[in-house]
Amino acid sequence: MIKCVIWDLDNTLLHGTYLESPGRPPDADRELAPALRELAGRGVLQAVASRNPPEAAEHAERVTGHRFAAVRCGWGAKSAAITGIMTELGLAAGEVAFVDDDALERAEVGYRLPGVLVLAPQDLPGALEWPDFSPPALTDEGRRRGELYRQRRVRQDEASAFGGSREDFLRYAQTRVTIAPAEPADLPRLHELSVRTHQFNSAGAELGAGELAGLLAAPDRCLAVVRLADKFGDDGIVGGCVITVAPRTWEVGFLMMSCRALGRGVIEALLGWICLRAQAAGAGEVALPCVISPRNVPLRIALTGAGFRAAAGRQDDGEAEGESGNGQRSAWYRRPLGGQLAELPSYVSAPGAWP
Amino acid sequence: MTGEPAADAAMVAGELRRILAEITGDDGALAAPPGTPLLRDGIGLDSVGGTVLLAEVYRRFGIDVAGEDLNLDSLATIGTLAAFVAERRPAA
Repeated sequence: MIKCVIWDLDNTLLHGTYLESPGRPPDADRELAPALRELAGRGVLQAVASRNPPEAAEHAERVTGHRFAAVRCGWGAKSAAITGIMTELGLAAGEVAFVDDDALERAEVGYRLPGVLVLAPQDLPGALEWPDFSPPALTDEGRRRGELYRQRRVRQDEASAFGGSREDFLRYAQTRVTIAPAEPADLPRLHELSVRTHQFNSAGAELGAGELAGLLAAPDRCLAVVRLADKFGDDGIVGGCVITVAPRTWEVGFLMMSCRALGRGVIEALLGWICLRAQAAGAGEVALPCVISPRNVPLRIALTGAGFRAAAGRQDDGEAEGESGNGQRSAWYRRPLGGQLAELPSYVSAPGAWP
Repeated sequence: MTGEPAADAAMVAGELRRILAEITGDDGALAAPPGTPLLRDGIGLDSVGGTVLLAEVYRRFGIDVAGEDLNLDSLATIGTLAAFVAERRPAA
């Protein structure tokens, strides 16, 4: 699924060449500007990669009425600009489309970044109908996605100028992580997260709406959602997990987090909270099956940091490692709960009734 | 047939330092001793930085650390990652 469209400006998003019309900079393209607004309304991020000074992107923001999630203006290769935008927004090549009127630029990007969907301007109106550009569910978080990424830019700028530790910055930013039992209204967002998350997705699979409703109703399951906010903005629901509660072991069948929440204490809070809650309920262990893929290394680093180990398999099937149902390699990560666990930071709260 | 594992590990460590300097934009990494932690305090990679490092290791050495080391213990220090890669490198 395409999460971000990266636009060229001259003779693409702009109707003309910015630097060649100094007195009267070009207007927005009449076909592409509405396409951009349509995609933004579907929760697809919009960014700019242009051989122009940065003022050209500011001009494009004025004439399209849209503020971009990321901007790369300069005279380097377009592929380098796109790689920079992907890093900034936490996206993989397969989640990005690039629109440029120049066939040479399209060829360069297509050659260096084969995963990127490369389009000519005339392809765009038709492409709007493709499933790649149609997110499964439009949630409140989806509609505000562009705005949330802009808040992230401001937050990151302040964080890099901030002298203290990461924990100090989270407190300075008035970070609030809230873990709550899922409500029926949260299910579309949980479904969307299961589709969109890869770096922090333990199952490497999607949770369908029907499946989620079943989990919400199951008496031995606990479906938790994680919300994140700070003084820069409210990110809404950024993560969730499904826990099967049993007397001895809490099994976390599904754990996911938006990469937008990366570095903001969320995954540490969620894993820490699960362990504390399980211990308080008298369980001796938390177990989590996790796919082994190059993309979810961030999650596995977080698991190891929270005291989980992939070792000595499940007691009932004796295997530490094997294949999950969809043919992906997976392993069991376990965390024994003996001894004193670390307390949650003060910015984490978990209201509601829990097992 | 890796003849000189220690020399090989030192060579890999040198390459890792160059990758780290590129990722962090800090040339201090070029002189970091083998015991320097990679994550948090130390080189200060976050988990995404760790992913970029392993992707680059795969590209340059052909070793899939993320697939072979489930607990990613090899990411402890420059030295542990260099040893992990050097042990698995095919003979030149």
